[in-house]
Formats: sequence, C-alpha cells, structure tokens
Amino acid sequence: MKHAIFGATALTLLATGAVAQEVTLGRFFGDCEGAGTDTKVSVGEACIIQSIINAADATLDGVSVNTLPTDWGNYYDQIKAAYAGGTPPAVHVMHRHRVPEFASIGALADLTDDLAAAGIDVSDWEATALEAVTYNDRIIGVPMDFHANLWHVNLDLMEAAGLVVDGAPVLPSSPEEMLEHARAVKAATGQDYLAADFAQFPIGVRVVLALLWQQGANIFDGDTATIDTPETRNAISAITQLFDAGLANPQLNYADSQQAFLNGEAAILVNGTWVVDFYSAEAAKDDQGLNRYFVADFPTLFDEGATWADSHIWAIPAPLKADAPETYAAALQVLAFINDHNIDWARTGHMAVRTSVLNSAEYAALPHRGEYAGTAEIARDTPPSVRYGAIQDVLNREFQAIWLTGKSVDAALSDAQADVQDLLDR
Amino acid sequence: MPRQQGAGFALSQRQAAVILLVPFLTVYAVFLIYPFFKGVWISLHDWNLMAVAFNPDAKSYVGLRNYERVMWGHNITWGALASPGFQIIGLIGILASALLYRAGRAGKVTALAMGLAALLLFVLPGFHPGEGGRWYDRRFWPTVGNTILFVGLAVPGVTITAMLLAAALDGETRAKAVLRTLFFLSQVLSVTVVTLIWQIMFSPRQGLIANLTELFGGSPIVWLTAEGFAMAAIVIATIWWSLGIAMILFLAGIQDISKDLYEAGALDNATGAKAFWYITLPNLKRTITVVVVLQIILHFQVFGQSHLMTGGGPNDTTQVLVRYIYQTAFRDSELGRASAMAVFLFVIMGGFSILQFVLGREKDE
Repeated sequence: MKHAIFGATALTLLATGAVAQEVTLGRFFGDCEGAGTDTKVSVGEACIIQSIINAADATLDGVSVNTLPTDWGNYYDQIKAAYAGGTPPAVHVMHRHRVPEFASIGALADLTDDLAAAGIDVSDWEATALEAVTYNDRIIGVPMDFHANLWHVNLDLMEAAGLVVDGAPVLPSSPEEMLEHARAVKAATGQDYLAADFAQFPIGVRVVLALLWQQGANIFDGDTATIDTPETRNAISAITQLFDAGLANPQLNYADSQQAFLNGEAAILVNGTWVVDFYSAEAAKDDQGLNRYFVADFPTLFDEGATWADSHIWAIPAPLKADAPETYAAALQVLAFINDHNIDWARTGHMAVRTSVLNSAEYAALPHRGEYAGTAEIARDTPPSVRYGAIQDVLNREFQAIWLTGKSVDAALSDAQADVQDLLDR
Repeated sequence: MPRQQGAGFALSQRQAAVILLVPFLTVYAVFLIYPFFKGVWISLHDWNLMAVAFNPDAKSYVGLRNYERVMWGHNITWGALASPGFQIIGLIGILASALLYRAGRAGKVTALAMGLAALLLFVLPGFHPGEGGRWYDRRFWPTVGNTILFVGLAVPGVTITAMLLAAALDGETRAKAVLRTLFFLSQVLSVTVVTLIWQIMFSPRQGLIANLTELFGGSPIVWLTAEGFAMAAIVIATIWWSLGIAMILFLAGIQDISKDLYEAGALDNATGAKAFWYITLPNLKRTITVVVVLQIILHFQVFGQSHLMTGGGPNDTTQVLVRYIYQTAFRDSELGRASAMAVFLFVIMGGFSILQFVLGREKDE
C-alpha cells in the first residue's frame, strides 16, 4: 500500500513537472481569495484580475501560472529588488509611467517580433495603448487598460442642492463656480461637497496636476522644474478654498474618504476608474448612504480639459527571453490570454485598450460607461522620467504640507521646485 | 588542566577553540562582515541598483561624494545657538556630566561618555546653511532629528511603563501571572500586525479612540495625518509593542533584589511607593542601563511603524532614517547614497554599543 501511494505521488509529480511550464506572475491590485475561474462574475480589481489569471492557469495547456505574493504599497521596490537579484517574475504588471525607468537599462524584453505568433493582434490596440508600451520604437509590453481620475457623484446630495439637470449632475466650469456649488451642497444637506485622499495616497497630487494641465502648464519641461509658478498657485487655491471654507476635509485618507462617500457624507469623490463597479455594487445595497450613483468626467475648471491618467501594462524581463525561451513562450501565452480578456478587465471600470472591445455592445452595456466617455479625450500625465516615483513623492509631501500642516504655499512650492530640480539634475 | 592522552593525536585548547569557532566565524564573516564592508564599498560609488545588476560596469568610484551630498551643503556655517533646543540641552548635558563627576555620582568613564555625547549634541546641530547656502539634501538632517525625537520619546516611554508594570505584576498570584502573559503577548506580533491594529485604533471613523472621544463629547482626532499627533501615534504603537522584553528584564531585576531589604524598609515605614523609590529603583540601576541602551539601539532602526502607519507624513514629520535609506535604495535605486546613510546609522548605533560596553565594564570594576 505504502509503495502504491509513493508510486502514485511520484508519477503525478513527474507528469505535472514534465508537462506544465511554470510562469511566475507579479502583480499589484491586492489579494482575492477564492476568485475562481469565471471571469464574468467577480467584482473589484483584485478578484477580476485573479479570476483571469486562474482561468489562464486552468485553460492554457502545459502552462501553470503562479501568482507571487507582493504588497501593493511596496510593489516596485520588490520588483526592482527581484531584478537586481536576478529573479524577476516571468511576467509582471507595471504602470506606463515606469517604462522609462525599466526600459532605459534594458530590463524589459523586446516583444515586437513575437506578439503576432503568440496570437496578439497589435493592430487592434488603440494608438495611445501602443504608445504606452513602445520604447525607442520597440514594443516592450502588452497594454491592459487606460485608467484616469473621475468624479464619482452622489446624485441625491447634488439634487438637494439643485445641481441635477436631466438626470445628470451640474459640474463647475471654474474654481469660483465650484465654491458656489460646494456652498449650495453644504447649505442644502450639511454635507461636504468633495472628498478624496488628500492625506496619504497621491490623489491630491493628481487633482492639482489636472488643474495645472488645464492651464497649459506642467511640473517640469525637459530638465527644468517648473513648479513654482502662478499656474500651480491657481490650481492649489482652487482646492484649498474648499478646505478653508469647511466644504471638504483634507485629513481623510483613501479608506476614510471612500467611506465618507459611501456613507453619503460627500457629494463628490475624486477617485479612479478602478472603483466604478465596486461603487455601483455598493450603491445597489439598501444599507448604504449612497443610493443614486453617477460617474462624470473630471470637469474643466480652467481653459482646456485634462485629467490625470495612466495605463496598466504587462511586461516580461529581458533575461527571460535570452536565457529561458520555453518559459518566455509560456509567458507570452499568458499575456495573450490576458489580452483576449480585455472586456472582462474593463468590467472594473477601466477603459479598454482594444478597438474591437471599445466598439463592442458588451462594452457599451457596462454600468455607467456612457457617463464618462469623454475621459479618454482628456487623459494626461506628466512627461516621462526615470524618477517619476520620487517626483510624485516630493509633490505629495509638499502639497500635503500646505493643507495638512499649514505650510505656506510659497515655501512649499519653493521647496518642491528645489527638490524636483535636484532629482532632475541627478 | 591536564591534557588528555588520546590514542592518536591531542588538540591543544587553542586548536580546539579554533575548530569550534570556525563554523560560527564562517557564517559571521559571510553574512555580517562581508556585507558590512561591501556596504561601505558601495557607499563610495555612484551605484544604481538596477543598472549595475544588468551591467556590472555601470558603477563609478566617487570617493566620499555620497557622504558630502547627503550630509553637507553649499555655504554651511556654524553658530552657537543655530538650533537652540538641541544645543542648550547639549550644554546642560556637558555641565551635568562635569557636576556628577565632581560630586562623585558618576565614574570617570561614564562622565566622559556622557560629556562627549552632550558635546556632540551641542556641536552638530550648530551647522546650518549661511546666506545663500543650502543643504545638498535638505531632508537628511530633519530625518535624523525625527529619528532622535522618536527614540527620545519611545525609550523613556517603554522603560518607565515596563518598570511600573513589572513592579505591579511581580508576585505569585494567578491574576498577576495571567496579566504578565497578556502584557508580553504584544511583543510576539509582527510589525505589520501591530501597525494594522493601531491604524484601526487611530482611525477617526471607526477607531476605538475616536469612539471614546465622541462618547465624552469631543471631536475625534485624525491621529495619523495631523502634524501634532502623527509622531505620538507611532510612539504609542511602539510602546505597546515593545513593552514585553523590557518588562521581563525588569521582573528579573526585581526578583533579584533581596527580600531582607524590603523587610528592613518596612520596619522604617517604607512600603508601597516609598519602598519602590528607595529600595527597588536604586537596585534596578543596572537593569535600567541595559534596557535603555538596548532600546536606544533597537529604536534607532525604526521603520515599519513609520512606513506602514503614516508613510513618513504629514510633511515628513514621521520620516525616519531607515525609511529614508530604504526609499533611496529601492524607490530611487541610488544604492551608493543609501549606503552612505546606512554607514552613518552604523556609526550612531556603534557609539551607543560602545557606551553600553563602557558602562557595563565600569560597574564590574
């Protein structure tokens, strides 16, 4: 009996070991236990991506996908340490903004000539998606989405303040009008007009950046920091006027600002596309303060439309292509599977990257999709830089210092200008 | 000791010692000595974490430039009262160590060590950018200041709380045994669990502290994002977390004190708080020294509480040295610069280790 058990175990190990090519996968988005393999029913980023990965693991012949444990907050530190130690995952997700940092030292595999054979049709990608994964005219990744900051709206609070027309919220077209709207909401409901994570995660930075871009300005130009400018002051004062008047609370972090919105304590929440399906599901529950949920494009308060945006893309390490062609081929199959399930990933609220998906009836039927159709047109980001992460942290620290610690705008912008210039000079 | 007469060959004590030490020394050299010197070596280079991994020639020798870029600046001058807070404490420290030595309350070496530490506290904060000058890295010294502030709050907090708990929980009853275990339990948790618990405790929306504040009619404090409270919040979490070991050390110290002393004291009406002050405390001097120095070395390495609870904010008020080293090495990929900061931290902790050695030796004499 004992021999039979050992024999069977050895055979099973031999069989699976011989057939399945293991693909290690690194990703953020958070954990999801029991995501299953049905890519049509899961809710939220973590569960939707894990269901797609599980489905790839179950469906692809001879490929087993092993999702590595990574922590969202320290994801890039872990990935970089893994690259430095020579053990990066076979495929990993990353943001478009990180491409210069990784691709400039040749860390990412050139996929250009291998995508078609793997079943990935590059001509089906939107032009901006192709641009997101192109570095020095070579394709170094497979795009998965466009994501951007939106205005998530509580229609009940807005209606009480007289700010709903034809079932859609009336959004401001100038900082002054935003203050009027905020006062109207406070007077009619006693609640805050706007909530966002202005305290930890850099959503406050993304709001200020959008308002900066709306004035045709930016934080740096080439190798020169351009932060200490009248345009930045305009952008910051558009936000701080709400804090000063008690119409928004700068001290809420991500979880607290989201909870405030779901509790019906704020008319607007500034957050990304990634929560549209989650808020829709929450609004449908009876015990939530949020009932009538609407999604709107980031409004134009200055001259031109702009909102912060980025892309999630998948990449393969260059050493894998050079040293382990079989794993590389299996990794490409996993990327092709994820590319095929672009519509499932779009259920999160993210915008699809494939033209065929964007034009499909299934995509148009996703909840609230038509309400933020204009976002793709106004999507923006800072210029590419290998020091994007450090620059974001400087802005986050100095902007938060203004609204959380009372640091003067002059001092904060002067310090931010010096620190970003120092980073650009290194 | 007579040498054993074996059949083949006999080892001298020295040879036996060498053979027995070889496994430890090998591990020590590979995992501690080599990485340390490699760290110092890296600190003398412009060394990008990722670039060097892909191309070993991507680094370049820059001498002490990393140290200069981190610790120095353009047009730096020195003033006797540039940072009055630290410098006045330093001056008081110099005077106190001289007075204690003259009064015979402190030994020569102790007074010298204290005086030297106080002198550094007077001299180092006096450096500041002159007119038109600036630090090359304007965040480094404030980060060192935050770390010292954290140590300055956490060490007395842990020491005093642990000592009082030990005094209260010393005894044979079952309740005291259960409470001792309960108070020690927090020590076994990992930093991620501790910070998670305290993030919930401090949450202004659902936290226990906010609920209690509201119960008594106050408005909840946003602990982790308010400038005046963020450092206090991570210190409180740290004290709760690190009580256990200090409490056990104090319990051992208290149990070493002869019961005769308390009986003699009781005859002179010294019981309760009086007995604690006149009998327990003087007899715990040595334990207090050990606890304080160990805590100082431990808390200079604070990282998780700041990284996970406040992200170093708001406005860098809880940014600490190890977190800055981590960010420089892994977020910015600047391994050379990060190593220079790590060497600086090593010097500080090495200083306190020497202090502990000196104080311990003096007591033995």
